Amino acid sequence: MAAINVLTALVLIGAALLVLGVLSSLIATRFGAPLLLVFLVIGMLAGEDGPGGIVFNDFRAAYLIGSVALAVILFDGGLRTRLTAFRGVLAPSLLLATVGVALTAGFTALAAIWLLNLGPWNALLLGAIIAPTDAAAVFVLLRSGGLQLRRRAGATLEIESSTNDPAAVFLTVAIVVVLEAGQAGAWETLLLTLLQQAGIGGFLGVVGGLLICVTVNRLDLAEGLHPLLVVAAAVVLYALATLAGGSGYVAAFIAGLIVGNRPIRAYASIVSFHGAATWLCQIVMFLILGLLATPSRLVTVALPAVALALFVILVARPAAVWLCLAPFGYDRRELAFIGWVGLRGAVSIFLATVPLLAGLPGARTYFDIAFFVVLVSLLVQGWTVGAAAHRLKQSLPRTTRPVHRVELDLPGQLAQELVGYHVLSDSPLLRNGRLPSWTRAVMVIRDETIMTPEQAGPLRVDDYVYLLAPPERAYRLDRLFAADEPGGESPPGEFAIAGSTPLGALADLYDVVIDPGDRERTVAELFADRFDGEPQIGDRLPFGEASLVARVVDDDGVARAGLQLEDLTGSIVAASLFRSRLGRALLRVVRRLRGRLSGAAPRALA
Amino acid sequence: MIEMADLISADRVLVGLRAASKRQLLQELAEDAAAACGLDASTVLDALIQREKLGTTAVGDGIAIPHAKVPGLPKLVGFFARLARPIDFDALDDKPVDLIFLLLAPEGGSAEHLKALARIARILRDPAMCARLRHAPNADRAYAVLTGQPESHAA
Repeated sequence: MAAINVLTALVLIGAALLVLGVLSSLIATRFGAPLLLVFLVIGMLAGEDGPGGIVFNDFRAAYLIGSVALAVILFDGGLRTRLTAFRGVLAPSLLLATVGVALTAGFTALAAIWLLNLGPWNALLLGAIIAPTDAAAVFVLLRSGGLQLRRRAGATLEIESSTNDPAAVFLTVAIVVVLEAGQAGAWETLLLTLLQQAGIGGFLGVVGGLLICVTVNRLDLAEGLHPLLVVAAAVVLYALATLAGGSGYVAAFIAGLIVGNRPIRAYASIVSFHGAATWLCQIVMFLILGLLATPSRLVTVALPAVALALFVILVARPAAVWLCLAPFGYDRRELAFIGWVGLRGAVSIFLATVPLLAGLPGARTYFDIAFFVVLVSLLVQGWTVGAAAHRLKQSLPRTTRPVHRVELDLPGQLAQELVGYHVLSDSPLLRNGRLPSWTRAVMVIRDETIMTPEQAGPLRVDDYVYLLAPPERAYRLDRLFAADEPGGESPPGEFAIAGSTPLGALADLYDVVIDPGDRERTVAELFADRFDGEPQIGDRLPFGEASLVARVVDDDGVARAGLQLEDLTGSIVAASLFRSRLGRALLRVVRRLRGRLSGAAPRALA
Repeated sequence: MIEMADLISADRVLVGLRAASKRQLLQELAEDAAAACGLDASTVLDALIQREKLGTTAVGDGIAIPHAKVPGLPKLVGFFARLARPIDFDALDDKPVDLIFLLLAPEGGSAEHLKALARIARILRDPAMCARLRHAPNADRAYAVLTGQPESHAA
């Protein structure tokens, strides 16, 4: 019986930690503390140096749990990435997630060489460990604070953070391989390993994703088993790909991407199940990693680790972001914000266990430093994300969210979403009173009675209206119910420009040099192109030294823009740099690349 | 930095101008400008109306900065007018307009046009400046106010 009691005690401890973790999310919301920091701290408190006193030093177990958790988290990241909705930011985000990670790792390595006196490959390893931004950390931060970001910055961050983990993982693994193999032919080894990891992982990811879709759509399983099958298949795929010499994480992510972007039965329940599974993985991963750390040891690396953390936050990440995104026409504020929201998270700590498992000398130091950098990043960036969003004008002005949103899984893949809104006294809908043709009101709740739309007639203030809409368009309804249109007011000193104005006419009038191919297009088309066909009020595009700001947006796009001259009095360093020869050359390369990536090349204004 | 004094001269400031509509006002100004610069009035008027078609040049708070490119003009030329009675200028804030700065730019210029507009918009955004312009007893005084103290000369 004693043995059983010991096991039960373990179950109790584990489950109690989990409960504590979930409940602590309330604390996090109340105080605005980054949720993941709370999990990490709970893990540390329960650990050897805290009141919990649990000694946990099993890096193998941590790696095992961490890798499964990460596979699930990455699969989920892919599942939620809607490729069509992100057309315009896909190329820059992917560039940031791959080249950006390598750049961040490289810059960090330079600092590590100097700060920690490491050899170049060891420094690069540390750089690669610290390089990935954590999808979970970014998502939780962006969503839990009720923060709504401007589409472009938000979408870029979302795609980048969920796609850069595989890049960092296989970079780390590849460097470990190099370090194990010795320095001779290091670059060739690195390149070959990267190719092999990405190639096999990507291939198995595509095949696995398609197989998952076919299986789920063909098999008539008992209700509730579909999501489970998908999760299990994702983990199987991860393990298979890893055993086959590829990157299991790339495979999991790509499979998720395919499953999420193909018609699949029970998509809604798969996503919601995955939501919970991902949460569980996050919490467990952070708790375990918190347990694994030995805070008393951390103190010894505190100074160089803080210096390195600050370097990553203030130099390496912003520089990588700037280099990757500036040629795509992101403005200064977007760049600054994306640079700032480069939160490190569980992935970095998890990656830091890889050198330990490989038995590299000094591996424990990597772990301690990586842990410290993550702590500093969560503290500094995590706590200031909201303030940074407001200051850099990336948070959206007051908007409305549907009070209810239910995805309906109708037979015959007829995807519709049921969304409910509260009609406010200044909802734009009350002014023009017309719903778009692609949506249908199904019921109205007025004074606690349920009415059909026919019974209800025109909507009134304080009604709740429920509408059916295709999922990819449903969020457009937000605009009709938004309390007002802040930012739609033109500030004084701005000229009105109709959305239908041809860019050529505008360029001639104000002597602004634009791409010849843009001359025939209108202001509205330019906005649509740059903001994925969904420009929002307040979206801003550079126009020569002035900027165009979307002021009135209707169903057909930007109806009126404002030509803002205010910036002319301040100097714009980035703008002048990009008018230099280097900037132009860079722009050309990126345009060509982007053209190839997205098929039809959207052109940028020079 | 483009200065107000480079854009305007004392004889191109009008105070107490009367106009019944936006169209009539633009016509008055186009005729004055054409006479001062030796241009064809209808060319100037057409260019101004074309610009207004893209969107109003009223910038709010009773101010409008109509502008256009005119062939045959050697350099940037500004005109200032204060209306005796404010008129509707399709302003986005719905306020009638009484202070008008007209800017004509030569064809194929550099970025000067945009810079000059930015300068004018910035100067006219100052409520104290607008108040002084509205209270200036005559054109000479208004000219002095316009060119007198942009903040760069404050010290």
